[in-house]
Amino acid sequence: MQLSDRVTGAFLVALGGFSVYGASLQPGVPGQDVGPSVFPTIIGLGLVGCGALILLRVGHSFEAPEDVIPPAAGEAVPQPPRFAELRAFIPPLLLVFYTLVADWLGFLPTAATMVLVVALALGASWRLALPLAVLAPLGIATIFMKLLRVPLPDGLLPLPW
Amino acid sequence: MNDLIEGFRLVGQMDVLIAILASSIYGLVVGSLPGLSATMATALLVPVTFYLSPIAAVATIISASAMAIFSGDIPGCLLRIPGTPASAAYTDEAYAMTRKGQAELALGTGLWFSAVGGIVGTLSLVIMAPLLAEVALNFSSYEYFWLAVLGLMCATLVARSSPVKAIASMLLGLLVSCIGMENPAGAPRFTFGMADLLGGIEPLPALVGVFALSEVMRALATFDPPPLPRRKFGSIMAGQWKLTKQYQWPMWRGNVIGIIIGVLPGAGADMAAWVSYAMSKRFSKTPEKFGTGHPEGLVEAGASNNASLASGWVPALLFGIPGDTITAIAIGVLYMKGLNPGPTLFTERASSMYALYIIFILANIIMIPLGIIMIRLAAHVLRAPRASIMPIILMLCAVGAFATGNNMFSVLLVGFFGVVGYVMERNGYPVAALVLGIVMGSMVEQSFVTSLIKSDNSLLPFIDRPISSVLAAITAGALLWPVGAWLLRRRARNRPTLQRPA
Amino acid sequence: MSPFSRRTLLGAGAGLAVAPLAAPALAQPRYPVRPLQLICPWGAGGGTDATARIVAALLEKELGQPVNVVNRTGGSGVVGHAALASANPDGYSIGIITVEIAMMHWQGLTELTHANYTPLGLVNRDAPGVQVSASSPYKDIKALAEGIKASPPGRLKASGTGQGGIWHLALVGWLQAMGLKPDHVRWVPSNGAAPGMQDLVAGGIDIVPCSIPEARAMLDAGRARSLAIMSPQRDPQFPDIPTLKESLGVDYQTAVWRGIGAPLKLPAEHAALLTGALEKVYKSDQYSEFMKARGFGMDWADGAGFGRVMAETDAAMGVAMKAAGLAKT
Repeated sequence: MQLSDRVTGAFLVALGGFSVYGASLQPGVPGQDVGPSVFPTIIGLGLVGCGALILLRVGHSFEAPEDVIPPAAGEAVPQPPRFAELRAFIPPLLLVFYTLVADWLGFLPTAATMVLVVALALGASWRLALPLAVLAPLGIATIFMKLLRVPLPDGLLPLPW
Repeated sequence: MNDLIEGFRLVGQMDVLIAILASSIYGLVVGSLPGLSATMATALLVPVTFYLSPIAAVATIISASAMAIFSGDIPGCLLRIPGTPASAAYTDEAYAMTRKGQAELALGTGLWFSAVGGIVGTLSLVIMAPLLAEVALNFSSYEYFWLAVLGLMCATLVARSSPVKAIASMLLGLLVSCIGMENPAGAPRFTFGMADLLGGIEPLPALVGVFALSEVMRALATFDPPPLPRRKFGSIMAGQWKLTKQYQWPMWRGNVIGIIIGVLPGAGADMAAWVSYAMSKRFSKTPEKFGTGHPEGLVEAGASNNASLASGWVPALLFGIPGDTITAIAIGVLYMKGLNPGPTLFTERASSMYALYIIFILANIIMIPLGIIMIRLAAHVLRAPRASIMPIILMLCAVGAFATGNNMFSVLLVGFFGVVGYVMERNGYPVAALVLGIVMGSMVEQSFVTSLIKSDNSLLPFIDRPISSVLAAITAGALLWPVGAWLLRRRARNRPTLQRPA
Repeated sequence: MSPFSRRTLLGAGAGLAVAPLAAPALAQPRYPVRPLQLICPWGAGGGTDATARIVAALLEKELGQPVNVVNRTGGSGVVGHAALASANPDGYSIGIITVEIAMMHWQGLTELTHANYTPLGLVNRDAPGVQVSASSPYKDIKALAEGIKASPPGRLKASGTGQGGIWHLALVGWLQAMGLKPDHVRWVPSNGAAPGMQDLVAGGIDIVPCSIPEARAMLDAGRARSLAIMSPQRDPQFPDIPTLKESLGVDYQTAVWRGIGAPLKLPAEHAALLTGALEKVYKSDQYSEFMKARGFGMDWADGAGFGRVMAETDAAMGVAMKAAGLAKT
């Protein structure tokens, strides 16, 4: 998500302002003169300052261009896929999906769904995506549940072994 | 001398040797799994140590933690997911080397210099333990404040982009560290009434989010990169000797800094790696190459984090003060096994101490063959198509974050920080600075507030204690250095222009 | 919610639907028939985690079923305690409850109190000692008490845990018992007892009122002295340290404790079985060896007794926290 410095700078100013405001709501603490509000206030003011500088594009000259590996001679430069910016938000949404349903559905079915979606989104064939969706969750569950004793949710479909 | 022979005999027992080998393999595997830190690998071993002899119990902890710190480099290098926070400082660099087709060199560098760092750290433990512990014991919150400030200043050094954006990123990280009630006042801040936020944001889910999940996101937003040329994975150790000679100086500096940071209570391998990486860039002859896949920083920081691991045992063994989270667990095991930390451990139970040193050396030596096997196995990752790797990374993000506290909230945090990291990186904000702020934030505030309470709000002790005055001077120097360098450069640039009109 | 509980519910539901007539034939098998989980609200590697793990290992032998320790960290203990309180009370989810349950609700961090659990047994209790540096001018607790009274408020500093933590409250309680203001000795927050002890030795602070096992390494190294212990009797592991009452005449005592509990509405026969098994665990040689090695204090109470300990601590903490201005009204 490429935003202009104006947008990110303004966001930082707003965030800084918010943290100063949030800090001002902190009650004092008996026995401490430097209370819980001081540190967030300093950070907030710093953010406002940095945000303002970025808005004014100070220090822009230092920025290195995005480190793209230049394509070798004769290589076709691929165009980014359609809806590239929106597709990028599939993984975090899948994580939200995981936290919502994994307890009920269980790790294996949830993970299989997630693997399938990402694999297909990356252009995998069904012949690759389906076995991957079955085997990868099984492998991960085995390592984490059996060897490391991480209590991943069983849900409707516990590990068969 | 008899103690030394006795030490060898203690280590030479079959159960100890098996414990070292098994826990080494275990450490390598766990360290290479994203989200599972070296601390976690060690903690999971504690129940096993119930059933072991004292020396074998300590041996499992030493070998597993040393291996885990090294193998954290593997996913960092191949997939841009630091396996442990200690690898986070140079993850970008190692990943850049992989993209340049130098994965074996990067991994070999990690392995070789980890082993060197571990061994040098152990020697320092042997030689300087009592002396170093005495210095570290005089560190009060004033000194920690300066250390933390120095650590934060690394933020602008590790960044390749605009310093303003680097500082903004670091401040964002500091703001994140304000969340929760783990602050000196014990007051809940920015929790919005959520119980899950009371304890603050754990660095691990944040790390996994900004480094790993954002990589998956980027993969979805771009087309398949041209496939890496299918070539045989070259020798892993080739070229390491050349690097050792070429970067001898950074290597020693990394070792020394790692040892010093390791000895300080509370500052562990992750901080050692950050500071060393930043030092390396600052003193390099070619600082502009950093971040583009240049092994120099890897040499220094790779040696540093493993060196700190060994020296972290110094305060642990002498005073029962943990040098880092791993030794905190180790202290518990030491007590449980009747090897109570304290000066008497060095005098009355010297043979056990020698045994401990020998285990350290041994673990760092077998790290090389085991590490090569591990790298060879992991290298298959490079050849697999992206569509099969990325879904697995996504699942490892979810499971790894969950494993830190068996808490679903961590999984949400990974998602959140993934978005933050992705957006920041697209807009030229360095994520490494963000991570640094999150990791160091509480130390800055804690040391500052407690110092003021202790001094009754006087600022004088920050500069008039012997060690803190030295640290303050270093901080001031580090602050003024870029300004001075900039002025010098300006003068150098202006002179020819002045001469021209004549 | 535990994964086990859900499976049982489903299994039970399926059983009811399919074969109501066969139910008598499937005679209720003896509890427990499958692994238990023991929730630990604190992270791996700490003292509570270690205690939970040894209890789990020994409980496994008694019950004949695996007992898995599950660390549910986050929210400074709130998350794990809440997870235990809301777990299915089927006897397959138990957990280790720590003293924080008597403090968190006063601070307004959670609604949970000790009344949200079925207590099963107390397994550990540690009283704080009063530690000073080896170079401190105060050689015994009387001299220290005089010194505190003579010094202006806020001159002396103490540390050992965060603001409002258990050792802070121990100090507040002790000062109050001596008739002083709660902030007469200023509290310096720290991340636990170890950094506090280090700062004590480094000369940054004057007193660390932490538990004696936490101070032991420094005591053994001759760097610090423990002047008194805030318990009714001397600790058999440290018989040289006098109690506050015998040395100073101030009858003040407090302690941190750890016990095993379960969610409310646990069937009484399961509770009785678990308490019985825990008592055997507590009395086993391995347990006392472990506790002795770690320097943790041994104390046992059955379910009802543990419930009383929790209620008493809760009341005492409320008083101390209100006095120190730490409680939310």
